[in-house]
Amino acid sequence: MKDKIMMLVFVLVLGTVLTGILVAVNWYTTPVISRNEQHEIQVNILKALGIPFGEGEVERVFAGQVQAKESGGKTYYVADGGGVAFAYSGSGLWGPINGIVALNPDLSSLKAVTVIHQEETPGLGDRIKEQAYLDQFQGKEFSSGLKLMPPGKSSRANEIDAITGATLTPKAFLQILNKNLTAAVPAIRQGERQ
Amino acid sequence: MKPSLKVVLNGLWKDHPIFSMVLGICSSLAVSNKVENAIAMGAGVTFALIGTALLIAALRKLIPGRVRMIAYMIIIATFVIVVDRVLKAMFPDISRAIGPYVGLIITNCILMGRAEAFYVSNGVGLSLIDAVFNGLGYTYTLVLVAVIRELLGFGSILGMPVMPVTFNKWVIMAMAPGAFFVVALFIWVTRTLAKMDPDKPGGG
Repeated sequence: MKDKIMMLVFVLVLGTVLTGILVAVNWYTTPVISRNEQHEIQVNILKALGIPFGEGEVERVFAGQVQAKESGGKTYYVADGGGVAFAYSGSGLWGPINGIVALNPDLSSLKAVTVIHQEETPGLGDRIKEQAYLDQFQGKEFSSGLKLMPPGKSSRANEIDAITGATLTPKAFLQILNKNLTAAVPAIRQGERQ
Repeated sequence: MKPSLKVVLNGLWKDHPIFSMVLGICSSLAVSNKVENAIAMGAGVTFALIGTALLIAALRKLIPGRVRMIAYMIIIATFVIVVDRVLKAMFPDISRAIGPYVGLIITNCILMGRAEAFYVSNGVGLSLIDAVFNGLGYTYTLVLVAVIRELLGFGSILGMPVMPVTFNKWVIMAMAPGAFFVVALFIWVTRTLAKMDPDKPGGG
């Protein structure tokens, strides 16, 4: 009986002490982590909107040149020099993909797309995060939906090349973008008209 | 041989966690596609191992035999969560790259295995040495595997391109099968060098 009580006391004490350590670590790291995430989002918004910024002045440039607005429950960011950006997210082939889309001031063509997080196959699908791939989104018209074409075959204003050997990731990626654009753009148009 | 020296050699070679005990294979397969990730994972495992070793060795007389597994589990889990949070806070890029695998250190058999085999029956000093050198043994293997995989799969080392531009990347090396090939080759070569006989109990 005494053994059992000792055992219980040991587990309880150990559990409490270790939980205490975790609470302390969590308390200390949470603000840093959320600041990192915030920073990451701001960097991506600035990049997508094509606003130049130097190392260490992200917050200042962001506060000076970007305005956060809300319309229809959707938060979006307006650049002083024209252009609107918003965050997108959805499921890729293997895991969630999210990032920032920027629209030209006409609100019907893309200015830029960035990828913040993706879990696609290294060396194949994860090439969607490469600048060379993302550059082809520039100026694309999305009103009739972005369309995936075999690598090198895209010619029209809403067509995007697939990646050789990794067709499913770009397919999922375009679906995510199309879905997010259809959901967000009407709200943004509404918000910008006011 | 001095006991501490023996522990050092065991960790680095004779009882090497990956090729001798074949522990921690899951994570070594998963994060060894880039050298940077391998170093971060190695450092994470080493840290968690050191913390676990110190605490278990210090508490070894107090831990009741029947709940020792639970005790290891929560001690390991605590240190792993600490590693995860610190990586997220201090090195967000690396954390993003190896993200889900940090949590899996909890189930990394190296920690559980060493806790049961060594820390619970040895003093703090020896356990610390054992933890450091098992961690190093794990890290150097991961880095070796990652050097091969990153070189062939991405044509770079630590993100710096080293292969000629015309080099055709072996995409398979960056994916899971590449890890199996390289780790298997590594185990084969090192076991041959160490003259281990897999048929003998305990890997010889």
